[in-house]
Amino acid sequence: MAVYLDCNATTPVEPSVVAVMMRFFEMDFGNAASPIHDYGLFARTAVEHARMLVGKVVGARPDEVIFTSGATESNNLAIFGLVDAGQKSRRRHVITTAIEHKAVLEPCEELSRQGFEVELLHARPDGRFSPEQVAEALRPDTLLVSTMHVNNETGVLQPLAEVAEILAGHDAFWHVDAAQGYGKDLEPLLNRRIDMISVSGHKIYGPKGIGALIVRKREGRIPPLQPLLFGGGQEQGLRPGTLPVPLIAGLGEAAKLALRDNQERRAKYLAFRQNACAALDDLGAEQNGDEVWTLPHCINVTLPGIASDQAISALKNVIAVSSTSACTSHTRTPSHVLKAMGRSSAQVESSLRLSWCHMTPDVDWAAVTGILQKLR
Amino acid sequence: MDVFDELEKITNQQYLHGDLPKWLADPVLAVARSPELFQGKEYLVEVLLAQVQEYDVYGETGCCKWAYDHEDITRTLRWLEEQ
Repeated sequence: MAVYLDCNATTPVEPSVVAVMMRFFEMDFGNAASPIHDYGLFARTAVEHARMLVGKVVGARPDEVIFTSGATESNNLAIFGLVDAGQKSRRRHVITTAIEHKAVLEPCEELSRQGFEVELLHARPDGRFSPEQVAEALRPDTLLVSTMHVNNETGVLQPLAEVAEILAGHDAFWHVDAAQGYGKDLEPLLNRRIDMISVSGHKIYGPKGIGALIVRKREGRIPPLQPLLFGGGQEQGLRPGTLPVPLIAGLGEAAKLALRDNQERRAKYLAFRQNACAALDDLGAEQNGDEVWTLPHCINVTLPGIASDQAISALKNVIAVSSTSACTSHTRTPSHVLKAMGRSSAQVESSLRLSWCHMTPDVDWAAVTGILQKLR
Repeated sequence: MDVFDELEKITNQQYLHGDLPKWLADPVLAVARSPELFQGKEYLVEVLLAQVQEYDVYGETGCCKWAYDHEDITRTLRWLEEQ
């Protein structure tokens, strides 16, 4: 079996997360909305415990955590949930960046169709958007600024602290898609100027199908989100539906471990990275994204003269890698992120993304470089 | 520091410096000091720890429930005994 190096697409699930989830599948299967007997009470207790654990990672209170089906839904709730407020206040200007995940870009395209003016900021060759561009784009009628925390294709950390300074004193709501950075890079998300944070369970060794939107109060006011679904009052009326207690408990356990084991995991990411970089350097790889800003569990490289689809296929028995986001890889469209960073079509078509985790076993790098050299 | 040590530390803090009453602190400390009796029940012990940490005499009042009161802690202690 090939070693899995596609952890930005999804991560393996921590064994203790599975153990917690199994309890709520097999034994404590009550409905959290039925606290009229022990089954329901236990389920509710588990949900509230997980809510506390998920919030703690970003310094949020439990009542600021809204459980969703994942980061895509969280992004949609953050973006479309403000439509009503924008229309009523005549603030229809939205700022986002060209390197966002499709789960932000496509809702923003839909906003445009609904009459909002969406301004797309460019990315620099280092893989970051420019905070100065945010300052220039900001207007009195800006309703929402939506910027990612860590890019899913390059692993590049975005300049959130600078954006926080720019937005200080401005009314615009700020949403951060933190699917790739929540629980990994802790400091930036503690900033209380960030109004909404999208979280994904399956990027932090938790289950698929669960995530959260963290909605913070600013100056005593919560962003005026409207629900996208109707049919029950769960999650403060913002996300109705029976709560998936096993998934929520699993996300809580994953969040707990992300905080507790953060430094230990980081050390493992870095040790793995050294070997990966040494092997890629031997191949003359050009890194996409500035190494200074790249999180230690991911690298995106262009391998001149080697087509990425051929490389993925040739490597399939040694390592499992990708060339782009999991959500776009099946369409075979070239990476919009690398394009936005100014990479040429030839560079984009020769790019690979390798992403690993603290559970990733050693890789036979000599075999990897041998296979890739034969492709030239 | 494992979850039992942490439970003992937090319970003592909440009893000595917070509002946690003795009648509630005592059974919680009994759990904290008997890890051998609660092996395999660490998830519930973690829940108990969080509840003690966020103990609020008025946790159940108001429109929303964002703290834990004596009923929550008593119930978790019961689950620890039963399961």
